[in-house]
Amino acid sequence: MNEQKLIEQAQHGDRKALAELVKLYEQTVFNFSFKICRHKDRAENTMQETFLSMVKNIHQFSGQSKLSTWLYRVVANHCLMLARSESKYGYTSFEDEEALIDEKEIADWSVAPDRVTENNELKMVLDKAIEKLPADYRIVFMLRDVEGLTTEETAKIVELSVPAVKSRLHRARAFLRNELNDTFSEDINNNINE
Amino acid sequence: MPTCKEVMTHICDNLGEELGSPACIEIKAHLESCDNCQHYFKSVETTIQFYRKYNVNISEEAHNRLVEFLGLKE
Repeated sequence: MNEQKLIEQAQHGDRKALAELVKLYEQTVFNFSFKICRHKDRAENTMQETFLSMVKNIHQFSGQSKLSTWLYRVVANHCLMLARSESKYGYTSFEDEEALIDEKEIADWSVAPDRVTENNELKMVLDKAIEKLPADYRIVFMLRDVEGLTTEETAKIVELSVPAVKSRLHRARAFLRNELNDTFSEDINNNINE
Repeated sequence: MPTCKEVMTHICDNLGEELGSPACIEIKAHLESCDNCQHYFKSVETTIQFYRKYNVNISEEAHNRLVEFLGLKE
């Protein structure tokens, strides 16, 4: 059954259709929650709250945007709220944009991205880098670059203008690249690449 | 991996420039001859790929807890 039909049935109180929608999106929502929250327990809590919101509000869903876009927005807001409550919000300052690109630091990385699926040390490096990124920048990076949404879709979800999304994306990419560059510059020939 | 044109479009778009604008043409000429910039953009692309490939799967237990939490258990 297609998604539109499931949504219509769920809006008429069909709990089986609701369960189908949950099944359809639980992996996407959990994975995205983890990518934003960086913690499995928090990701599970966010996933539960996101679907609870969907179950409670499905009758208000107009279908003007995709259901996935709506779910991304709920996850993003929930994780942002968690980050703010933990006072991690604004941890890294991006006031000095020039400092994000240091010409002296440019190394040729010879590392295969596929390594991440099997290398726990590399996962820790990626976790450490992205945890330093303020949550509102992290959300933009994850939506646009990792989940592959358009700049316009991302702007709508985070309620920013398109130029503001582009600016945050640029800074987030440069920051993460610099954080990883420290590791690859130091460890380019040792165990991360082995 | 993106093509050079896609990379250029992306860079120029982020700068608010059209692909054929003088600024974009200058950037393209510089990029083609600058190893440093090529390394930089390759490393940014690799950074994005890392995070794309770093995925977590929902466990069966987490799925069961979710269904129970929502009261959708059959």
